[in-house]
Amino acid sequence: MVEFRLPKNSTVGKGRIFTAAPGATNVKNFRIYRWSPDDDKNPVVDTYEIDLDKIGPMVLDALIHIKNDVDSTLTFRRSCREGICGSCAMNIAGENTLACLKPIRDIEGDIAIYPLPHMPVIKDLVPDLDGAYAQLRSIDPWLKSDTLPPPDSERRQSIEERAELDGMWECILCFCCSTSCPSYWWNGDRYLGPATLLAAYRWIADSRDEHAGDRLDALEDPLKLYACRTIMNCTQTCPKGLNPAKAIGRIKELQLERKA
Amino acid sequence: MSNPKKPHITVMRSQLSRARGLGSGQAGVGHWWAERASAVALVPLSGWFVIQVFRLAGASQPEVAKWGARPLNTTMMLSLVILTFYHTQLGLQVIIDDYVHGKAHLPAGLLMKGIVFLLGLFGTVSVLKLALAGSSRGRIAAG
Repeated sequence: MVEFRLPKNSTVGKGRIFTAAPGATNVKNFRIYRWSPDDDKNPVVDTYEIDLDKIGPMVLDALIHIKNDVDSTLTFRRSCREGICGSCAMNIAGENTLACLKPIRDIEGDIAIYPLPHMPVIKDLVPDLDGAYAQLRSIDPWLKSDTLPPPDSERRQSIEERAELDGMWECILCFCCSTSCPSYWWNGDRYLGPATLLAAYRWIADSRDEHAGDRLDALEDPLKLYACRTIMNCTQTCPKGLNPAKAIGRIKELQLERKA
Repeated sequence: MSNPKKPHITVMRSQLSRARGLGSGQAGVGHWWAERASAVALVPLSGWFVIQVFRLAGASQPEVAKWGARPLNTTMMLSLVILTFYHTQLGLQVIIDDYVHGKAHLPAGLLMKGIVFLLGLFGTVSVLKLALAGSSRGRIAAG
């Protein structure tokens, strides 16, 4: 059944407060989810008072400042700090987004930071994405073609065919969309989720791919594909401005088209 | 005895095996399309029904019976009732798929479909009774 309450060992308690240095004038509170697998304690929310004059403009700048200068035990993923690696996906002020692309000044009041929702937590802000990666792997996200490529050149596409892939190749697989989707929360074991379905359509729509039918066969399932209820959280939350809901809609159209 | 600190692990199946699961059910298109088609069909039918209810407001019982005995009205009413309950079970099935997991899933769906079927049948019989009773009563009165 659906879980409307957190399990007992997941209820979040109050944590420590790290006060800002005296004399700090531009202070903002960062309330950050903390949980460690190393003790048997429930998760808590620690509060960090941060002097914004000392750090860069993005939420990730605050997190890096905390780790470097305030509390080195804070754990989070980050790499490129410019929205292309997808590592720092997390729930910031109630919205899944990339910490490196989220300006601090866009958020009023305290900034609450949690890991991506409804995923197992490895530590602090680090979710376990193994299941999501395996789902991506399950749709064979690579070019499948039986026709050999020309011996002296690459596989070619027309300008129009290439344009079909716009809005899909830009996906960085941060899984902000999948983890914002209630269908994925309730049925994430069988529903593939918007990130994986966007990737699936990216290959169905690719003019060089010759296995669209097999791909549609593999998706034609009451839950793998049709657990999408057009809630549109995926499109609303995507930090890259993509539209996974539209891609899912196109897959449903093609499923219908090949029946008639 | 096993160490109580270390929980017994019951699932060591790989993530890819879990993601692939039992494969595709090769179903879902029909349900998805039927949901949309029946919803679109219900728009004019419901509009027609609302207009008829307003037209019949304040009408006497024989007037309503006469209205219900007309073949066109019977056809529209039966379409409305059957499609409404057909659409209802499609929609409720979605809710059950979303929120009822495991062993309870199949019986929950069957129970829901049984109840909706009976309600729909009751509505259908009621429309038919209205459609057919008028003429029989007429015969009895004449006889």
